[in-house]
Amino acid sequence: MFFLHNLERRVTLHPSYFGRNMHELVTTKLVKDVEGTCAGDYYIIAIMDTFDVSEGRILPGSGLAEFTVGYRAVVWRPFKGEVVDAIAYSVNPHGMFAQAGPLRLFVSSHLMPDEIQYDANATPPQFTNNADMVIEPGTHVRVKIIGMRTEVGEMWAIGSINGDFLGCLQA
Amino acid sequence: MSKTIRLGTRLRYPITIVKLLKAPGETVQKQERLLQYSFKWTKEVGDTIRGETWEEEQTTIADWDSPADGELRQWNIKEGDLIEQDQACLVIKEACSHEIQFQGLCAICGKDMTEVNWATDSRDTERAPISMVHDQTNLTVSQVHAQRTEHELQRRLLLQRKLSLVVDLDQTIIHACIDPTVGEWQRDPSNPNHESVKDVKSFQLEDGPRGVARGCWYYIKMRPGLEGFLKRISTMYELHVYTMGTRAYAREVARVVDPNQRLFGNRVISRDENGNMYAKSLQRLFPVNTNMVLIIDDRADVWPRNRHNLIKVSPYDFFKGIGDINSSFLPPRTDTLPSETAVTTTNGLSTTITPTPTIPTAAASAAAVGEPVSALDDLVSMSGGEDAAITQLQIEEQARTLERQINERPLQALQEKLDKEDEEAEKSTTPSEDGEDTPSSPSPHPRHQVLLDDDHELSYLEQHLTELHRIYYEEYDRKRALHRSSTTVDLAAVPDVGQCLELLKSRALRGVKVVLSGLIPIGVDLQRSEIGQQVTSFGAELRNNITKDVTHLVVSALRPRTKKVRQAARIPSIKIVNKDWLEECFSQWAIADEEPYLFEVHPDDRPGGRTALAEGERERLSDVDEDEGPPRLRLVSASGDTRELNEDEDEDDESESEDDLIPDFEDGETSPIDGLKSFNWNSADEELNEFLAGDSDDSDDVMDSDDGDEELTAGSGTSSGGSRKRKLGEDDDEDEDEEEEAESELDVALDEPSSRPEQENGSVKRLKRTTSRGKSSLRNQFISGDGEVDTDSLPTPLGTGDEEEDAAASKALEGGLQPPPPAASQQSSVGGDSVFDEIDEAELEADFMAEFAAADAPASVTVVGKEDGGKSREKG
Repeated sequence: MFFLHNLERRVTLHPSYFGRNMHELVTTKLVKDVEGTCAGDYYIIAIMDTFDVSEGRILPGSGLAEFTVGYRAVVWRPFKGEVVDAIAYSVNPHGMFAQAGPLRLFVSSHLMPDEIQYDANATPPQFTNNADMVIEPGTHVRVKIIGMRTEVGEMWAIGSINGDFLGCLQA
Repeated sequence: MSKTIRLGTRLRYPITIVKLLKAPGETVQKQERLLQYSFKWTKEVGDTIRGETWEEEQTTIADWDSPADGELRQWNIKEGDLIEQDQACLVIKEACSHEIQFQGLCAICGKDMTEVNWATDSRDTERAPISMVHDQTNLTVSQVHAQRTEHELQRRLLLQRKLSLVVDLDQTIIHACIDPTVGEWQRDPSNPNHESVKDVKSFQLEDGPRGVARGCWYYIKMRPGLEGFLKRISTMYELHVYTMGTRAYAREVARVVDPNQRLFGNRVISRDENGNMYAKSLQRLFPVNTNMVLIIDDRADVWPRNRHNLIKVSPYDFFKGIGDINSSFLPPRTDTLPSETAVTTTNGLSTTITPTPTIPTAAASAAAVGEPVSALDDLVSMSGGEDAAITQLQIEEQARTLERQINERPLQALQEKLDKEDEEAEKSTTPSEDGEDTPSSPSPHPRHQVLLDDDHELSYLEQHLTELHRIYYEEYDRKRALHRSSTTVDLAAVPDVGQCLELLKSRALRGVKVVLSGLIPIGVDLQRSEIGQQVTSFGAELRNNITKDVTHLVVSALRPRTKKVRQAARIPSIKIVNKDWLEECFSQWAIADEEPYLFEVHPDDRPGGRTALAEGERERLSDVDEDEGPPRLRLVSASGDTRELNEDEDEDDESESEDDLIPDFEDGETSPIDGLKSFNWNSADEELNEFLAGDSDDSDDVMDSDDGDEELTAGSGTSSGGSRKRKLGEDDDEDEDEEEEAESELDVALDEPSSRPEQENGSVKRLKRTTSRGKSSLRNQFISGDGEVDTDSLPTPLGTGDEEEDAAASKALEGGLQPPPPAASQQSSVGGDSVFDEIDEAELEADFMAEFAAADAPASVTVVGKEDGGKSREKG
C-alpha cells in the first residue's frame, strides 16, 4: 500500500559544495541517497518535497557539514494479504519468482490452482493450464502476498495465485 | 503431514506425567502448554555457616510447551506415567511442513522460518536444507521434496527416453578470450587468421570486469561442429550448462551457443549459484540421485564427487596460449596432458612478455597459462570459512589476468613471432618444420596463421554419447522386462549411467599395456595421477617399467631421452609414441593409429646408438623376469654378474636399482639425477665450500650477538664459528677424521691465516677442540692486539644494527679508549666468577659451556671468564 510519509534524515555535504545553492544541493543529495531504497519494512518510492532544511553544522574532524532535512515521500509498504501486480522472472519446478517493483516474490507450485502444472518441455519452461494461462519469464501476474520478511535493506515475500482474479494478467 | 514429537533430552528425567492439557483433535500452537509433569530433585537445606546441612527431596511441577503448530492427533503417554528417558510423546498433524523455503520464509504457508523460540530444539530453516534450483540459491527444499522433484524429472526423462547431460562451457564446447587482436583479425580479410576467426562471436558484459578490462569484448569460438552436435545430442539428452564463469557470462555464452533457448532452456548454473569456490558438484542440481546424469567437462579435478559420471573431453584450445579465462576460480590445473604446443608457446610468451615484478601478477599470469599457482594453491588448501575473502581474491586475480590479456595481446605476439620465424625460414629457403605451434602446412597465405580450427573432439564425443544412450536404454528395457511392471515408467529399473560409462570405457583400450615417461611429476603416485586414472579407466594396463609385453611407451616431447626410451627402443614390439596419441585414444575411446604419433627416438638412444651401446652392455633386460610375478629389471654388469646396485657414478643405473624400493617415486619424472652426468663436480665442490664458509660466517654472527667480545678480530670469529659447527655435529656418529678434513678444507677455503692454530690441532679430540675455542680466540686477540685488524679481508656477514654498534665499540676499544685486549682478557678472567650470576645473556652460553666443564675444566673457566669480561667491559 502506498503512503505519503513525513520523514527526516541527516545529510552531509562536502566543504567544496559550500555556497549559495547549498540547500538545493542538500535536496539533490537527499534524493540521490534515499529514493528507491528499502527502509526497514517499506520502500521509499519518491520524494515529494523537502520542507525543512536545518542550518548546517560542521562535523568536527572531517569538515563536512551536516543538515537535518525533513521531507515528504511516497513510500510503499507491502502488507500480508495485499494483492500486487508483478512480473515473473524465473520459473522452476518448485514455483516461480516474480518481481513487484523492488520486491521479490516467490510463488510456490503449492499456491497455484491445481490445473496449473509445470511444463519442463516447453521452451522456455513454464507453468500452464494448457489453455489461456501460461506463466513464463516476462509474464505479468497478479499475486496475493501471504508472507513477508525483512532484513536490513531487503524484503522478500511469498505470494499466492490461488484465488479469484489472481494469476496471469491478460492485457 | 503427521509429525511425531519427542519430549526432548533437556528434561529432568525421570518425570511423572501429571496432567495432559489437550485432547486429541484439538489444535495446538507453538509454545502452547500441552502437559504438566513433575520431577523430583534434592535441595541442600540447613545452615551452611555452621555446617549443619542436609539434603531434602523436592517435587516440582513444570509445564511442557508444544514445539509445533497443528492438530493434536494422539498422545503416546497418559497421565500418571513415569518416564525414565526421552521418548516420543505425541503426534501432531502439522498444517505445513515447511518443505519449500525462500529466504527464510516458508513458501507454502508464508511463515517466517528464522524465528526461534524456547520450545523447539531445531530451527525451522533446517527443514529445507537443499538448494537444487539452477538460477537461485535462496530457494531451498527438504529432502523429501527434493526426492519427489527428482522422481518427477526421471519419470519425464524416461518417457522421452532421454538422459541428463551437464555441459561445461569454457574449453569444452567453446573457447573464449578477450584479446582485442581477434576483433582486428576479424575485420581484416588479408590477415592469415581471418579465415579462422571470422565465425567467432562476440559480446560485451554489462557487469563485467572493472578496470582496464571494463567493457571489453568477449570473443567466443565455438568448437567445430558444435551446432549440429548439440542439436542431435539434445534429442537424447536434456542439456544443462554448468560453468565457473559468472551468471552474466554464462547467460551470454548460452545466448551465443543457443540463441532460441531450445537446447539449454533455463537450465544454466554459474559460479554465482554454485555455492562452492573450487568444485562443481552434481549434487547441487541432482541432490538425491545421479543415475541418469552425465557430465562433459575438460577438467576432471573440479568434479571430485562425480568422477563416476564424468566424460572428460580434451580441452579446446583455439586461442593459443589463452587458456581458460575463468580458470582463476578453479584450482590450478594438475591433470594435463598440457598440449605440447601450448607449453612451448606459453613458455615463449612468458619469456617475451616481461612479467610485472609483483608476485600476485606473476601468479595470475601463471594461472592464465594453466600452470600451478602457488598463492592460489595455498588458498585452496586452507579454504576455511573466509570464502568471501577468497572470492574477492579470485575476482582480483581474474581482473589481472584479463587486463594482461588486453594489454599484452598474446595472440598478436604469437603471430608476430610466427611471422618472424617464417621470414627466417624463407631466408634459409627451407620450410620451417621446427616444431613451432603450427604445423606448417602449405597454406595459400604467404604468412602462417596462429589459429587453426582443427578439432574433431565433438564428432567422437557424439558417437560416445549416442552409444551410451543406446546401452543405457537397452539395460533399462532389459531390467524393466524382468520386473514385468505394467506401468510405462519403472523407476526401480533405472540403471546407473555411470556404470554404463565405465563398462563402455573399459573396453576401449583393453589389452594395451602402457608405460609413461616424463609425463608425471616426481612424487605423484602413478596410479592416482590424473593421466594414470584415465589410462586405467579406459581399460589399459599401466606399467611402471619396460618389459617385453608392454605395448606402448608414451613419451613427453619435453623429455625425449629418458632411460625408458632407451630401453623401449631395444624392444621392437613396443611402440614409442608421443602423448598426443594418448589424447587421441582418450577422445576416440579406441586404440588410435600410432603412425602419426610415433616418437622420433634420438639416434644415440637407438639400439645401435652410442649411449645405448655403452649402457646397453650393463643394462640388459633379463628374459627370466618376464615369467615372474611383478615385472622387474635387474642390472647385469659388464662382467656378467647380476647386481642390484651399481655403485659407480652412472646415476641412471642407480636410480634403476632403487626402483624396486620406491616404486611410486621412480616413475614420476625422468630421473631427477639425469642431469648429473654432465654435471661439473668441481664447481659443485667450490660451491659447497663457499656455502660452508658462509655458514661459518653465519654462526659467527650468532656468536657475535651472544658474546660481544668475539669479533674483536675476524679470525677468532671464524674459528669459533667452525668449532660451533662441530659442536652441533657432535651428536652425529660421523667419523671424526672425516669431519676434521672437512674442517681443515673449510679453513683453507677461507684462506684465513688466523685459523691455522685450529688446523694444527686437527687430530685432537673434538671435545677438547671445542673447549679450546676460548684459548684460540684469546691467542688471536694477542696477535691482533698489535694493531692489525683484518676484519675486512673476510666476507662480511650481514649484521644487525647491534652488531655494528658492537663492532664499532670494539674498534673504539682497540683505538685505545680502554686497556688493550690482553689486559682486558686478564681482567675479565679475574672478575669472571663474581659477575657470573648477574648476566642473563651469558647464562645461556654458560649452560652450553657447562657440558664441557667436565672434560676440560680450566678451559671452560677461561671461556666463561672471557664472556663475562665482554660484559664487564661493556659496563665500563
